[in-house]
Amino acid sequence: MIIGTVGAKTIEGVNNMGRFARFAWQSMIASFRSSISPCTYPLIWTQMNIIGVRSVPVVMITGAFVGMTLAVQAYDQLAGMGLEEHLGVLINISVVKELGPVLAAVMLAGRIGGALTAELGTMNVTEQIDAVRSMGTDPVRYLAAPRVLACLLLTPVLIIYADLMGIIGGYFVSVVQLGINSRAYWDFSASGVELWDVSIGIIKGLFFGVAIAVISCYKGFTCKEGAHGVGQACTEAFVASFISILALDFALAVIFKAIYNTFWQIKSLV
Amino acid sequence: MKQQNKGKNTNTKNGDGIIVLKNVIKKFSAKIVLENISLAIEKGKTTVVIGPSGCGKTVLIKHLILLLRPTSGEVYFKGQRIDNLNEGQLNQIRTHYGFLFQGGALFDSLSVTENITFPIRQHCEIPDWNQVGELVKSKLAMVGLDGFQNYYPANLSGGQRKRVALARAIALNPEVILYDEPTTGLDPIRSDVINELILKLQRELNVTSVVVTHDMTSAYKVADRIIMLHKGKIIADGDADFIRNHPHPIVQHFIKGQVSDDDLAVLRMSGTMSQAQFLPRDFEQDL
Ligand SMILES: Nc1ncnc2c1ncn2[C@@H]1O[C@H](COP(=O)(O)OP(=O)(O)O)[C@@H](O)[C@H]1O
Ligand SMILES: [Mg+2]
Repeated sequence: MIIGTVGAKTIEGVNNMGRFARFAWQSMIASFRSSISPCTYPLIWTQMNIIGVRSVPVVMITGAFVGMTLAVQAYDQLAGMGLEEHLGVLINISVVKELGPVLAAVMLAGRIGGALTAELGTMNVTEQIDAVRSMGTDPVRYLAAPRVLACLLLTPVLIIYADLMGIIGGYFVSVVQLGINSRAYWDFSASGVELWDVSIGIIKGLFFGVAIAVISCYKGFTCKEGAHGVGQACTEAFVASFISILALDFALAVIFKAIYNTFWQIKSLV
Repeated sequence: MKQQNKGKNTNTKNGDGIIVLKNVIKKFSAKIVLENISLAIEKGKTTVVIGPSGCGKTVLIKHLILLLRPTSGEVYFKGQRIDNLNEGQLNQIRTHYGFLFQGGALFDSLSVTENITFPIRQHCEIPDWNQVGELVKSKLAMVGLDGFQNYYPANLSGGQRKRVALARAIALNPEVILYDEPTTGLDPIRSDVINELILKLQRELNVTSVVVTHDMTSAYKVADRIIMLHKGKIIADGDADFIRNHPHPIVQHFIKGQVSDDDLAVLRMSGTMSQAQFLPRDFEQDL
Protein backbone atom coordinates (compact mmCIF):
# COMPACT_ATOMS: atom_id res chain seq x y z
CA MET A 1 0.00 0.00 0.00
CA ILE A 2 2.64 2.50 1.10
CA ILE A 3 5.02 1.25 -1.56
CA GLY A 4 2.27 1.68 -4.13
CA THR A 5 1.61 5.27 -3.05
CA VAL A 6 5.28 6.17 -3.01
CA GLY A 7 5.73 4.53 -6.39
CA ALA A 8 2.77 6.41 -7.88
CA LYS A 9 4.04 9.71 -6.49
CA THR A 10 7.49 9.04 -7.89
CA ILE A 11 6.15 8.22 -11.33
CA GLU A 12 3.99 11.34 -11.24
CA GLY A 13 6.99 13.42 -10.18
CA VAL A 14 9.11 12.09 -13.02
CA ASN A 15 6.24 12.70 -15.46
CA ASN A 16 5.89 16.28 -14.25
CA MET A 17 9.62 16.83 -14.65
CA GLY A 18 9.39 15.52 -18.18
CA ARG A 19 6.44 17.77 -19.04
CA PHE A 20 8.20 20.75 -17.52
CA ALA A 21 11.39 20.03 -19.44
CA ARG A 22 9.41 19.80 -22.68
CA PHE A 23 7.56 23.02 -21.93
CA ALA A 24 10.81 24.79 -21.08
CA TRP A 25 12.37 23.60 -24.32
CA GLN A 26 9.32 24.65 -26.39
CA SER A 27 9.20 28.06 -24.80
CA MET A 28 12.94 28.62 -25.41
CA ILE A 29 12.49 27.76 -29.09
CA ALA A 30 9.38 29.92 -29.34
CA SER A 31 11.17 32.79 -27.62
CA PHE A 32 14.08 32.52 -30.00
CA ARG A 33 11.73 32.56 -32.99
CA SER A 34 9.83 35.53 -31.56
CA SER A 35 13.03 37.43 -30.96
CA ILE A 36 13.83 37.33 -34.67
CA SER A 37 10.34 38.10 -36.01
CA PRO A 38 9.47 41.79 -35.68
CA CYS A 39 5.70 41.25 -35.82
CA THR A 40 5.79 39.89 -32.25
CA TYR A 41 7.68 42.90 -30.89
CA PRO A 42 4.54 44.77 -29.80
CA LEU A 43 3.55 41.77 -27.64
CA ILE A 44 6.99 41.74 -26.02
CA TRP A 45 6.88 45.50 -25.56
CA THR A 46 3.52 45.28 -23.76
CA GLN A 47 4.86 42.62 -21.43
CA MET A 48 8.00 44.63 -20.76
CA ASN A 49 5.87 47.54 -19.68
CA ILE A 50 3.75 45.38 -17.41
CA ILE A 51 6.64 43.41 -15.98
CA GLY A 52 9.42 45.94 -15.90
CA VAL A 53 8.24 49.42 -15.15
CA ARG A 54 6.13 48.61 -12.16
CA SER A 55 8.84 46.42 -10.62
CA VAL A 56 11.41 49.22 -10.42
CA PRO A 57 10.32 50.63 -7.03
CA VAL A 58 10.20 47.30 -5.17
CA VAL A 59 13.53 46.24 -6.57
CA MET A 60 15.15 49.55 -5.65
CA ILE A 61 13.82 49.39 -2.11
CA THR A 62 15.08 45.82 -1.77
CA GLY A 63 18.55 46.85 -2.96
CA ALA A 64 18.77 49.88 -0.66
CA PHE A 65 17.90 47.87 2.44
CA VAL A 66 20.38 45.14 1.54
CA GLY A 67 23.21 47.67 1.32
CA MET A 68 22.21 49.46 4.48
CA THR A 69 21.80 46.31 6.54
CA LEU A 70 25.13 44.94 5.39
CA ALA A 71 26.83 48.15 6.48
CA VAL A 72 25.28 48.03 9.93
CA GLN A 73 26.09 44.36 10.45
CA ALA A 74 29.61 44.28 9.09
CA TYR A 75 30.84 47.52 10.68
CA ASP A 76 31.31 46.14 14.20
CA GLN A 77 33.20 43.09 13.04
CA LEU A 78 35.57 45.07 10.86
CA ALA A 79 35.98 47.89 13.38
CA GLY A 80 37.03 45.30 16.00
CA MET A 81 39.97 44.45 13.76
CA GLY A 82 40.59 48.07 12.84
CA LEU A 83 39.60 47.38 9.25
CA GLU A 84 36.50 49.55 9.02
CA GLU A 85 37.80 51.40 5.99
CA HIS A 86 37.52 48.11 4.05
CA LEU A 87 33.78 48.11 4.63
CA GLY A 88 33.18 49.34 1.07
CA VAL A 89 34.74 46.24 -0.51
CA LEU A 90 32.72 43.93 1.64
CA ILE A 91 29.42 45.66 1.06
CA ASN A 92 29.81 46.33 -2.62
CA ILE A 93 31.12 42.92 -3.56
CA SER A 94 28.34 41.21 -1.62
CA VAL A 95 25.74 43.45 -3.21
CA VAL A 96 26.78 43.21 -6.84
CA LYS A 97 27.79 39.57 -6.81
CA GLU A 98 25.28 37.82 -4.59
CA LEU A 99 22.70 39.65 -2.58
CA GLY A 100 21.61 42.20 -5.15
CA PRO A 101 20.88 39.69 -7.92
CA VAL A 102 19.45 36.98 -5.67
CA LEU A 103 17.21 39.18 -3.57
CA ALA A 104 16.05 41.20 -6.56
CA ALA A 105 15.22 37.94 -8.35
CA VAL A 106 13.32 36.62 -5.33
CA MET A 107 11.40 39.86 -5.20
CA LEU A 108 10.60 39.52 -8.91
CA ALA A 109 9.59 35.89 -8.46
CA GLY A 110 6.92 37.12 -6.08
CA ARG A 111 5.99 40.22 -7.97
CA ILE A 112 6.10 39.04 -11.60
CA GLY A 113 5.88 35.30 -11.13
CA GLY A 114 2.72 35.59 -9.08
CA ALA A 115 1.08 37.88 -11.60
CA LEU A 116 2.09 35.73 -14.59
CA THR A 117 0.85 32.53 -13.02
CA ALA A 118 -2.41 34.09 -11.91
CA GLU A 119 -3.05 35.62 -15.33
CA LEU A 120 -2.22 32.51 -17.35
CA GLY A 121 -3.91 30.25 -14.79
CA THR A 122 -7.11 32.24 -15.06
CA MET A 123 -6.85 32.12 -18.85
CA ASN A 124 -6.44 28.38 -18.59
CA VAL A 125 -9.46 27.72 -16.37
CA THR A 126 -11.68 30.04 -18.42
CA GLU A 127 -10.68 28.14 -21.58
CA GLN A 128 -8.89 31.15 -23.10
CA ILE A 129 -5.77 29.07 -23.72
CA ASP A 130 -7.91 26.47 -25.48
CA ALA A 131 -9.42 29.36 -27.44
CA VAL A 132 -5.95 30.40 -28.63
CA ARG A 133 -5.32 26.82 -29.73
CA SER A 134 -8.73 26.49 -31.37
CA MET A 135 -7.87 29.44 -33.61
CA GLY A 136 -4.75 27.67 -34.81
CA THR A 137 -2.25 29.66 -32.76
CA ASP A 138 0.40 28.13 -30.56
CA PRO A 139 -0.23 29.41 -27.01
CA VAL A 140 3.41 28.90 -26.09
CA ARG A 141 4.41 31.24 -28.89
CA TYR A 142 1.64 33.76 -28.31
CA LEU A 143 1.52 33.80 -24.49
CA ALA A 144 4.70 32.31 -23.03
CA ALA A 145 7.38 33.56 -25.41
CA PRO A 146 6.74 37.32 -24.97
CA ARG A 147 6.77 36.89 -21.20
CA VAL A 148 9.96 34.84 -21.20
CA LEU A 149 11.68 37.39 -23.43
CA ALA A 150 10.49 40.31 -21.34
CA CYS A 151 11.81 38.67 -18.16
CA LEU A 152 15.06 37.71 -19.86
CA LEU A 153 15.69 41.28 -20.95
CA LEU A 154 14.44 43.06 -17.86
CA THR A 155 15.74 41.05 -14.92
CA PRO A 156 19.35 42.11 -15.54
CA VAL A 157 18.25 45.73 -15.86
CA LEU A 158 16.30 45.53 -12.63
CA ILE A 159 19.32 43.93 -10.97
CA ILE A 160 21.41 46.93 -12.01
CA TYR A 161 18.87 49.14 -10.24
CA ALA A 162 19.07 46.94 -7.14
CA ASP A 163 22.88 47.02 -7.22
CA LEU A 164 22.92 50.75 -7.58
CA MET A 165 20.58 51.29 -4.68
CA GLY A 166 22.51 48.75 -2.59
CA ILE A 167 25.73 50.65 -3.21
CA ILE A 168 24.09 53.96 -2.38
CA GLY A 169 22.46 52.48 0.74
CA GLY A 170 25.76 50.99 1.91
CA TYR A 171 27.57 54.26 1.26
CA PHE A 172 24.93 56.24 3.11
CA VAL A 173 25.16 54.17 6.28
CA SER A 174 28.96 53.73 6.22
CA VAL A 175 30.01 57.24 5.38
CA VAL A 176 27.15 59.44 6.50
CA GLN A 177 26.06 57.53 9.58
CA LEU A 178 29.13 55.63 10.74
CA GLY A 179 31.58 58.31 9.67
CA ILE A 180 34.01 56.31 7.56
CA ASN A 181 36.26 58.42 5.37
CA SER A 182 34.55 58.70 2.01
CA ARG A 183 37.74 58.60 -0.06
CA ALA A 184 39.07 55.50 1.68
CA TYR A 185 35.67 53.85 1.31
CA TRP A 186 35.62 54.30 -2.45
CA ASP A 187 39.33 53.58 -2.94
CA PHE A 188 39.09 50.21 -1.24
CA SER A 189 35.86 49.46 -3.08
CA ALA A 190 37.44 50.27 -6.44
CA SER A 191 40.42 48.06 -5.76
CA GLY A 192 38.29 45.17 -4.52
CA VAL A 193 35.38 45.07 -6.95
CA GLU A 194 36.21 44.09 -10.51
CA LEU A 195 34.14 44.46 -13.65
CA TRP A 196 33.94 40.68 -13.53
CA ASP A 197 32.04 40.76 -10.24
CA VAL A 198 29.46 43.18 -11.56
CA SER A 199 29.05 41.27 -14.81
CA ILE A 200 28.42 37.90 -13.24
CA GLY A 201 25.73 39.50 -11.08
CA ILE A 202 24.03 40.73 -14.21
CA ILE A 203 24.57 37.53 -16.17
CA LYS A 204 22.95 35.62 -13.32
CA GLY A 205 19.99 37.90 -13.86
CA LEU A 206 19.49 36.46 -17.36
CA PHE A 207 19.23 32.96 -15.93
CA PHE A 208 17.01 34.00 -13.03
CA GLY A 209 14.69 35.89 -15.38
CA VAL A 210 14.22 32.92 -17.69
CA ALA A 211 13.73 30.56 -14.74
CA ILE A 212 11.04 32.77 -13.18
CA ALA A 213 9.18 33.24 -16.46
CA VAL A 214 9.31 29.62 -17.61
CA ILE A 215 8.27 28.23 -14.23
CA SER A 216 5.46 30.75 -13.80
CA CYS A 217 4.13 30.20 -17.33
CA TYR A 218 4.29 26.44 -16.89
CA LYS A 219 2.38 26.61 -13.61
CA GLY A 220 -0.20 28.87 -15.24
CA PHE A 221 -0.62 26.60 -18.27
CA THR A 222 -1.06 23.49 -16.12
CA CYS A 223 -3.23 25.11 -13.47
CA LYS A 224 -6.14 23.10 -12.07
CA GLU A 225 -9.79 24.12 -12.24
CA GLY A 226 -11.27 26.89 -10.16
CA ALA A 227 -10.12 29.74 -7.94
CA HIS A 228 -8.45 27.23 -5.65
CA GLY A 229 -6.44 25.84 -8.56
CA VAL A 230 -5.18 29.30 -9.54
CA GLY A 231 -4.16 30.11 -5.96
CA GLN A 232 -2.36 26.82 -5.62
CA ALA A 233 -0.55 27.34 -8.91
CA CYS A 234 0.68 30.77 -7.75
CA THR A 235 2.05 29.37 -4.51
CA GLU A 236 3.75 26.49 -6.30
CA ALA A 237 5.20 28.85 -8.89
CA PHE A 238 6.72 31.07 -6.23
CA VAL A 239 8.21 28.21 -4.23
CA ALA A 240 9.60 26.56 -7.36
CA SER A 241 11.04 29.85 -8.64
CA PHE A 242 12.60 30.61 -5.28
CA ILE A 243 14.28 27.24 -5.02
CA SER A 244 15.52 27.32 -8.58
CA ILE A 245 16.94 30.83 -8.07
CA LEU A 246 18.98 29.55 -5.13
CA ALA A 247 19.99 26.38 -6.94
CA LEU A 248 20.95 28.29 -10.09
CA ASP A 249 22.88 30.77 -7.98
CA PHE A 250 24.91 27.96 -6.50
CA ALA A 251 25.51 26.26 -9.84
CA LEU A 252 26.48 29.52 -11.52
CA ALA A 253 28.84 30.40 -8.67
CA VAL A 254 30.69 27.15 -9.22
CA ILE A 255 30.78 27.57 -12.99
CA PHE A 256 31.85 31.21 -12.91
CA LYS A 257 34.55 30.47 -10.42
CA ALA A 258 36.01 27.87 -12.76
CA ILE A 259 35.78 30.27 -15.68
CA TYR A 260 37.35 33.05 -13.64
CA ASN A 261 40.25 30.87 -12.56
CA THR A 262 41.05 29.82 -16.08
CA PHE A 263 40.46 32.96 -18.13
CA TRP A 264 40.32 36.16 -16.12
CA GLN A 265 43.69 35.50 -14.56
CA ILE A 266 45.33 34.86 -17.88
CA LYS A 267 44.00 38.23 -18.95
CA SER A 268 45.44 39.95 -15.91
CA LEU A 269 48.82 38.33 -16.59
CA VAL A 270 48.96 39.69 -20.10
CA MET B 1 -38.97 14.20 -41.71
CA LYS B 2 -35.59 14.82 -43.19
CA GLN B 3 -33.95 11.47 -42.71
CA GLN B 4 -35.43 8.07 -42.24
CA ASN B 5 -33.19 6.17 -39.94
CA LYS B 6 -35.66 5.00 -37.39
CA GLY B 7 -34.19 2.35 -35.17
CA LYS B 8 -30.89 2.63 -36.90
CA ASN B 9 -27.61 3.98 -35.69
CA THR B 10 -26.27 6.36 -38.32
CA ASN B 11 -22.78 5.92 -36.95
CA THR B 12 -22.52 2.51 -38.59
CA LYS B 13 -21.75 4.27 -41.88
CA ASN B 14 -18.36 5.49 -40.76
CA GLY B 15 -15.84 6.85 -43.20
CA ASP B 16 -17.95 9.31 -45.22
CA GLY B 17 -18.02 12.28 -42.90
CA ILE B 18 -16.08 15.51 -42.72
CA ILE B 19 -15.07 14.57 -39.17
CA VAL B 20 -14.95 10.94 -38.12
CA LEU B 21 -14.29 9.48 -34.69
CA LYS B 22 -13.39 5.80 -34.54
CA ASN B 23 -13.52 3.92 -31.25
CA VAL B 24 -12.52 6.97 -29.27
CA ILE B 25 -11.92 6.38 -25.57
CA LYS B 26 -11.00 9.24 -23.25
CA LYS B 27 -9.82 8.76 -19.70
CA PHE B 28 -8.75 11.38 -17.17
CA SER B 29 -6.40 9.36 -14.98
CA ALA B 30 -8.70 6.52 -13.88
CA LYS B 31 -11.99 8.20 -14.82
CA ILE B 32 -13.48 7.10 -18.13
CA VAL B 33 -15.36 10.02 -19.74
CA LEU B 34 -15.82 8.72 -23.30
CA GLU B 35 -16.37 5.01 -23.80
CA ASN B 36 -15.69 3.83 -27.30
CA ILE B 37 -17.38 6.57 -29.33
CA SER B 38 -17.66 6.07 -33.07
CA LEU B 39 -19.26 8.88 -35.00
CA ALA B 40 -19.24 10.45 -38.44
CA ILE B 41 -20.18 14.11 -38.73
CA GLU B 42 -21.77 14.72 -42.13
CA LYS B 43 -20.62 17.63 -44.23
CA GLY B 44 -23.05 20.52 -44.51
CA LYS B 45 -25.38 19.13 -41.85
CA THR B 46 -26.10 20.25 -38.32
CA THR B 47 -25.46 17.56 -35.75
CA VAL B 48 -26.72 18.21 -32.24
CA VAL B 49 -25.29 16.40 -29.23
CA ILE B 50 -27.58 16.34 -26.21
CA GLY B 51 -27.07 14.94 -22.76
CA PRO B 52 -27.18 15.90 -19.10
CA SER B 53 -24.49 18.10 -17.54
CA GLY B 54 -21.26 16.28 -16.86
CA CYS B 55 -21.90 13.48 -19.36
CA GLY B 56 -18.88 14.42 -21.46
CA LYS B 57 -20.36 16.67 -24.17
CA THR B 58 -17.61 19.27 -23.89
CA VAL B 59 -14.98 16.55 -23.81
CA LEU B 60 -16.51 15.02 -26.96
CA ILE B 61 -16.69 18.27 -28.92
CA LYS B 62 -13.09 19.11 -27.98
CA HIS B 63 -11.99 15.83 -29.55
CA LEU B 64 -13.46 16.92 -32.89
CA ILE B 65 -10.86 19.71 -33.08
CA LEU B 66 -8.21 17.81 -31.10
CA LEU B 67 -8.13 20.27 -28.21
CA LEU B 68 -8.13 17.03 -26.26
CA ARG B 69 -6.36 13.94 -27.52
CA PRO B 70 -8.09 10.57 -27.28
CA THR B 71 -6.61 8.04 -24.86
CA SER B 72 -7.16 5.56 -27.67
CA GLY B 73 -8.99 5.58 -30.98
CA GLU B 74 -8.72 7.65 -34.13
CA VAL B 75 -9.95 11.01 -35.39
CA TYR B 76 -10.18 11.93 -39.07
CA PHE B 77 -10.77 15.29 -40.73
CA LYS B 78 -11.66 15.11 -44.45
CA GLY B 79 -10.27 11.60 -44.56
CA GLN B 80 -6.93 12.56 -43.04
CA ARG B 81 -6.03 11.08 -39.69
CA ILE B 82 -5.36 13.97 -37.33
CA ASP B 83 -5.08 12.53 -33.83
CA ASN B 84 -1.43 11.62 -34.39
CA LEU B 85 -0.37 15.02 -35.75
CA ASN B 86 1.74 17.38 -33.69
CA GLU B 87 0.44 20.74 -32.47
CA GLY B 88 2.07 22.64 -35.32
CA GLN B 89 0.33 20.53 -37.96
CA LEU B 90 -2.93 20.65 -36.03
CA ASN B 91 -2.83 24.44 -35.99
CA GLN B 92 -3.10 24.33 -39.79
CA ILE B 93 -6.11 22.01 -39.59
CA ARG B 94 -7.75 24.10 -36.88
CA THR B 95 -7.98 27.15 -39.11
CA HIS B 96 -10.84 25.31 -40.87
CA TYR B 97 -12.79 25.29 -37.62
CA GLY B 98 -14.61 27.81 -35.51
CA PHE B 99 -15.17 26.94 -31.86
CA LEU B 100 -17.66 28.62 -29.58
CA PHE B 101 -16.68 27.89 -25.98
CA GLN B 102 -19.21 27.25 -23.25
CA GLY B 103 -18.21 30.38 -21.32
CA GLY B 104 -17.23 32.38 -24.40
CA ALA B 105 -13.52 32.34 -23.52
CA LEU B 106 -12.98 35.88 -24.79
CA PHE B 107 -9.54 37.32 -24.09
CA ASP B 108 -9.96 39.61 -21.07
CA SER B 109 -7.10 41.87 -22.03
CA LEU B 110 -8.39 42.54 -25.55
CA SER B 111 -11.33 44.67 -26.69
CA VAL B 112 -14.26 43.21 -28.62
CA THR B 113 -12.70 44.28 -31.92
CA GLU B 114 -9.31 42.86 -31.00
CA ASN B 115 -10.95 39.62 -29.93
CA ILE B 116 -12.76 39.25 -33.23
CA THR B 117 -9.73 40.18 -35.30
CA PHE B 118 -7.46 37.85 -33.32
CA PRO B 119 -7.72 34.92 -35.76
CA ILE B 120 -7.41 37.31 -38.70
CA ARG B 121 -4.28 38.93 -37.33
CA GLN B 122 -2.77 35.52 -36.61
CA HIS B 123 -3.36 34.03 -40.02
CA CYS B 124 -3.70 36.74 -42.65
CA GLU B 125 -1.65 39.55 -44.01
CA ILE B 126 -3.85 42.56 -43.42
CA PRO B 127 -3.82 44.81 -46.45
CA ASP B 128 -6.49 47.23 -45.38
CA TRP B 129 -7.65 47.99 -41.84
CA ASN B 130 -10.85 49.68 -43.04
CA GLN B 131 -11.90 46.41 -44.60
CA VAL B 132 -11.22 44.64 -41.30
CA GLY B 133 -13.33 47.24 -39.50
CA GLU B 134 -16.18 46.54 -41.93
CA LEU B 135 -15.81 42.83 -41.32
CA VAL B 136 -15.95 43.27 -37.55
CA LYS B 137 -19.02 45.46 -37.97
CA SER B 138 -20.81 42.88 -40.11
CA LYS B 139 -19.95 39.97 -37.80
CA LEU B 140 -21.12 41.96 -34.78
CA ALA B 141 -24.30 42.95 -36.58
CA MET B 142 -25.00 39.25 -37.18
CA VAL B 143 -25.04 38.64 -33.43
CA GLY B 144 -26.85 41.92 -32.72
CA LEU B 145 -23.95 43.73 -31.06
CA ASP B 146 -22.82 46.35 -33.57
CA GLY B 147 -21.61 49.37 -31.64
CA PHE B 148 -19.87 47.35 -28.95
CA GLN B 149 -16.52 47.36 -30.80
CA ASN B 150 -14.54 49.13 -28.08
CA TYR B 151 -16.01 47.37 -25.06
CA TYR B 152 -13.92 44.99 -22.97
CA PRO B 153 -15.27 41.53 -22.01
CA ALA B 154 -15.46 42.59 -18.35
CA ASN B 155 -18.08 45.20 -19.30
CA LEU B 156 -20.36 42.77 -21.14
CA SER B 157 -23.04 40.50 -19.74
CA GLY B 158 -22.63 36.74 -19.97
CA GLY B 159 -24.96 36.51 -22.96
CA GLN B 160 -23.24 39.36 -24.78
CA ARG B 161 -19.86 37.72 -24.23
CA LYS B 162 -21.15 34.55 -25.76
CA ARG B 163 -22.41 36.41 -28.81
CA VAL B 164 -19.09 38.20 -29.25
CA ALA B 165 -17.41 34.81 -28.93
CA LEU B 166 -19.67 33.55 -31.70
CA ALA B 167 -18.69 36.51 -33.88
CA ARG B 168 -15.04 35.59 -33.25
CA ALA B 169 -15.66 31.92 -34.06
CA ILE B 170 -17.06 32.82 -37.49
CA ALA B 171 -14.46 35.51 -38.24
CA LEU B 172 -12.44 33.35 -40.64
CA ASN B 173 -15.53 31.85 -42.35
CA PRO B 174 -14.78 28.34 -41.12
CA GLU B 175 -16.07 25.20 -42.80
CA VAL B 176 -16.92 23.56 -39.51
CA ILE B 177 -18.35 25.37 -36.51
CA LEU B 178 -18.46 23.68 -33.13
CA TYR B 179 -20.87 25.25 -30.65
CA ASP B 180 -20.57 24.35 -26.97
CA GLU B 181 -23.92 25.26 -25.41
CA PRO B 182 -24.59 28.31 -27.61
CA THR B 183 -27.94 29.16 -26.05
CA THR B 184 -27.28 28.40 -22.39
CA GLY B 185 -27.59 31.58 -20.34
CA LEU B 186 -29.39 33.55 -23.07
CA ASP B 187 -32.98 34.72 -22.88
CA PRO B 188 -35.45 32.86 -25.14
CA ILE B 189 -35.45 35.57 -27.84
CA ARG B 190 -31.64 35.72 -28.03
CA SER B 191 -31.53 31.93 -28.05
CA ASP B 192 -33.77 31.94 -31.07
CA VAL B 193 -31.56 34.52 -32.79
CA ILE B 194 -28.61 32.18 -32.27
CA ASN B 195 -30.65 29.27 -33.62
CA GLU B 196 -31.54 31.29 -36.71
CA LEU B 197 -27.88 32.22 -37.12
CA ILE B 198 -26.83 28.59 -36.97
CA LEU B 199 -29.42 27.77 -39.64
CA LYS B 200 -28.42 30.77 -41.76
CA LEU B 201 -24.73 29.84 -41.71
CA GLN B 202 -25.61 26.33 -42.75
CA ARG B 203 -28.00 27.41 -45.52
CA GLU B 204 -25.92 30.19 -47.02
CA LEU B 205 -22.35 29.02 -46.51
CA ASN B 206 -23.04 25.29 -46.28
CA VAL B 207 -21.22 25.17 -42.97
CA THR B 208 -21.00 21.91 -41.06
CA SER B 209 -22.17 22.48 -37.50
CA VAL B 210 -21.92 20.47 -34.34
CA VAL B 211 -24.02 21.86 -31.52
CA VAL B 212 -23.72 20.67 -27.95
CA THR B 213 -26.75 21.64 -25.92
CA HIS B 214 -29.30 20.61 -23.36
CA ASP B 215 -31.82 23.11 -24.69
CA MET B 216 -34.31 20.85 -26.51
CA THR B 217 -36.13 23.74 -28.23
CA SER B 218 -32.87 24.73 -29.84
CA ALA B 219 -31.98 21.11 -30.60
CA TYR B 220 -35.26 20.43 -32.43
CA LYS B 221 -35.00 23.67 -34.36
CA VAL B 222 -31.49 23.38 -35.75
CA ALA B 223 -30.82 19.65 -35.87
CA ASP B 224 -30.54 17.50 -38.95
CA ARG B 225 -29.50 14.78 -36.59
CA ILE B 226 -29.55 14.44 -32.81
CA ILE B 227 -27.17 12.29 -30.78
CA MET B 228 -27.80 11.61 -27.13
CA LEU B 229 -24.80 11.02 -24.92
CA HIS B 230 -25.19 9.29 -21.59
CA LYS B 231 -22.35 8.27 -19.30
CA GLY B 232 -19.84 8.50 -22.13
CA LYS B 233 -21.84 6.37 -24.57
CA ILE B 234 -24.11 7.24 -27.48
CA ILE B 235 -27.54 5.89 -26.52
CA ALA B 236 -29.61 7.42 -29.32
CA ASP B 237 -28.80 8.72 -32.78
CA GLY B 238 -31.28 9.92 -35.37
CA ASP B 239 -33.39 12.84 -36.57
CA ALA B 240 -35.68 14.92 -34.36
CA ASP B 241 -38.70 12.64 -34.77
CA PHE B 242 -36.65 9.58 -34.09
CA ILE B 243 -35.46 11.09 -30.82
CA ARG B 244 -38.95 12.31 -29.88
CA ASN B 245 -40.33 8.80 -30.20
CA HIS B 246 -37.31 7.01 -28.81
CA PRO B 247 -38.32 4.16 -26.50
CA HIS B 248 -35.35 4.47 -24.12
CA PRO B 249 -36.60 5.88 -20.77
CA ILE B 250 -33.43 7.93 -20.19
CA VAL B 251 -33.94 9.64 -23.55
CA GLN B 252 -37.61 10.30 -22.79
CA HIS B 253 -36.85 11.72 -19.35
CA PHE B 254 -34.16 13.97 -20.77
CA ILE B 255 -36.08 15.42 -23.70
CA LYS B 256 -39.16 16.04 -21.59
CA GLY B 257 -37.14 17.49 -18.76
CA GLN B 258 -38.60 15.06 -16.25
CA VAL B 259 -36.78 13.77 -13.24
CA SER B 260 -36.46 9.98 -13.26
CA ASP B 261 -38.26 7.80 -10.74
CA ASP B 262 -35.00 6.85 -9.06
CA ASP B 263 -34.05 10.48 -8.45
CA LEU B 264 -37.54 11.21 -7.13
CA ALA B 265 -37.25 8.31 -4.72
CA VAL B 266 -34.04 9.76 -3.34
CA LEU B 267 -35.71 13.12 -2.79
CA ARG B 268 -38.63 11.49 -0.98
CA MET B 269 -36.38 9.34 1.16
CA SER B 270 -34.33 12.22 2.46
CA GLY B 271 -37.00 13.37 4.89
CA THR B 272 -38.77 16.69 5.22
CA MET B 273 -37.08 19.98 4.50
CA SER B 274 -37.19 21.15 8.10
CA GLN B 275 -35.24 18.08 9.15
CA ALA B 276 -32.60 18.80 6.58
CA GLN B 277 -32.03 22.36 7.71
CA PHE B 278 -29.67 23.64 10.33
CA LEU B 279 -31.27 25.95 12.84
CA PRO B 280 -29.37 28.24 15.20
CA ARG B 281 -30.67 26.33 18.21
CA ASP B 282 -28.87 23.19 17.01
CA PHE B 283 -25.61 24.91 17.85
CA GLU B 284 -26.58 26.62 21.07
CA GLN B 285 -24.93 24.10 23.37
CA ASP B 286 -21.59 24.77 21.73
CA LEU B 287 -21.66 28.47 22.47
N1 LIG C 1 -9.42 18.18 -17.75
C1 LIG C 1 -10.16 17.31 -17.06
N2 LIG C 1 -9.61 16.57 -16.08
C2 LIG C 1 -10.34 15.67 -15.40
N3 LIG C 1 -11.65 15.45 -15.58
C3 LIG C 1 -12.27 16.16 -16.54
C4 LIG C 1 -11.56 17.13 -17.33
N4 LIG C 1 -12.44 17.67 -18.20
C5 LIG C 1 -13.62 17.08 -17.97
N5 LIG C 1 -13.53 16.18 -16.97
C6 LIG C 1 -14.62 15.33 -16.47
O1 LIG C 1 -15.33 14.83 -17.57
C7 LIG C 1 -16.69 14.80 -17.31
C8 LIG C 1 -17.45 15.42 -18.46
O2 LIG C 1 -17.21 16.79 -18.47
P1 LIG C 1 -17.82 17.75 -19.58
O3 LIG C 1 -17.54 17.20 -20.92
O4 LIG C 1 -17.32 19.12 -19.29
O5 LIG C 1 -19.39 17.67 -19.28
P2 LIG C 1 -20.56 18.43 -20.04
O6 LIG C 1 -21.33 17.36 -20.70
O7 LIG C 1 -21.36 19.11 -18.98
O8 LIG C 1 -19.94 19.40 -21.00
C9 LIG C 1 -16.93 15.50 -16.00
O9 LIG C 1 -17.24 14.54 -15.03
C10 LIG C 1 -15.61 16.14 -15.68
O10 LIG C 1 -15.34 16.06 -14.31
MG1 LIG D 1 -19.87 21.35 -21.10
